Amino acid sequence: MTLDIDTWIQVAAFVGGGLAMGFGAIGAAIGEGFTASEANLAISRTPKISGDIFKNMLVGQAIAESAAIFALVVAMILLFTDFSGQSILMVSVLLAAGLSMGFGAIGSGIGSGFPAGEACVGMSRQPAMSGQLTTNMLIGSAVCQTPSIFALVISFILLFSDFSGLPIAPTWAAILGTGFAVGLAAIGSGLGGGLVAQTSCEGMARQPTSASTVTNIMLLAQAVTQTPAIYGILIAFILLFKGFTPTASLPAAMALLAAGLCMGFGAIGPGIGIGNTGRSAVRWIARNKESTADLTRIMLVGQAVCESTAIYSLVVALVLIFVI
Amino acid sequence: MGTIRDTEKIYCSIALGFAVIVGTLCFILMLKPIGKGLILGTLFSIINFVLMAETLPMRIGHTRKKGVGISFLLIFLRYALLAIPLALSIKLNQFNMAATVFGLFSVQLVIMTDHISRYIKMRTQKNQLY
Repeated sequence: MTLDIDTWIQVAAFVGGGLAMGFGAIGAAIGEGFTASEANLAISRTPKISGDIFKNMLVGQAIAESAAIFALVVAMILLFTDFSGQSILMVSVLLAAGLSMGFGAIGSGIGSGFPAGEACVGMSRQPAMSGQLTTNMLIGSAVCQTPSIFALVISFILLFSDFSGLPIAPTWAAILGTGFAVGLAAIGSGLGGGLVAQTSCEGMARQPTSASTVTNIMLLAQAVTQTPAIYGILIAFILLFKGFTPTASLPAAMALLAAGLCMGFGAIGPGIGIGNTGRSAVRWIARNKESTADLTRIMLVGQAVCESTAIYSLVVALVLIFVI
Repeated sequence: MGTIRDTEKIYCSIALGFAVIVGTLCFILMLKPIGKGLILGTLFSIINFVLMAETLPMRIGHTRKKGVGISFLLIFLRYALLAIPLALSIKLNQFNMAATVFGLFSVQLVIMTDHISRYIKMRTQKNQLY
């Protein structure tokens, strides 16, 4: 068995493909399962509209599945493209592409399942709102997909860019850091966005008169939920495009990898926390429309505080990239 | 199950119609790989959606163990099916990969476009009333 560069590249492509699809399948499966379980509850409560609930479940599952299809696309590119004849840096690139998409699809897959399930329950509670619930669910689910789209973009940039002119060290670490930063950061934002969208479907079914207010606040809360994922993609872009001077120092390379890990892990909690804050605000705005201004203000302040830990991670990641 | 059939028919026919029109335009403009890729991706997107809908009743009315088993098998089959156009577009130059990937999401795009346009219409009508 010869272990030349091409062999290592092929190994990395296969491992990257496995990581992309393996991790990528987790979220969508959980999300779709949640949707189906809530649809069961809804049908048992109101069997008369089982057709509408089935339809909503199907449409919701189709959207929740998108993140896993992104992962499938990246995995197939990694498995079937011929990457031979390139530098050893490609090993890092292929692994990072798989990591980015694999982790990046988890949160969006699970998150998209939440509004789909809650919309089914909402329909059983308020059949007259079926159409509006489906629309609200789809808008909420689409926003949940944003972090996984960030991960897909970074994977594509990694797969289709030419890194041959760059120094192997420390670029290998910066590239791996890119995968971790964007992939892990997407988990919290995807989940958090799903929590907000779930409660907006619940609120809409409980208080149909608050429907448009609930949708607007949902979009606002979801927009804030996406910020940790934006920090992740920001660090990913810096790591990809800054251009590092060649060095044989291992600590210098590990600092770049650590920057990616710091931003990725550091964004998971804030994404979920911000989502929880938004969820609570949307729930109570639906029930008490008159307090929308106060509740929105409290929500935004709460979300800003939740976000602070993501900002700490961002600062440490920037220090690791630019100072150390 | 009438509503599910209707949903399938509406979304799939719009997706297919869109793919055929854009594909034909691509053929006329001598962008054959793009047209072929788009139509290929859309066809598999439609097959995936139809399979998803038609196999829904198969997952219900079984024991939990059997239900989980059937669901896993169906998901595996559908993903294996979606992998076919991707593998073809990567291996064969006659299919553009980006267009194939776009085609794979055509049903989802039609669903989103339909509901968002309805939402915008509803909001516009509401605004005109007040």
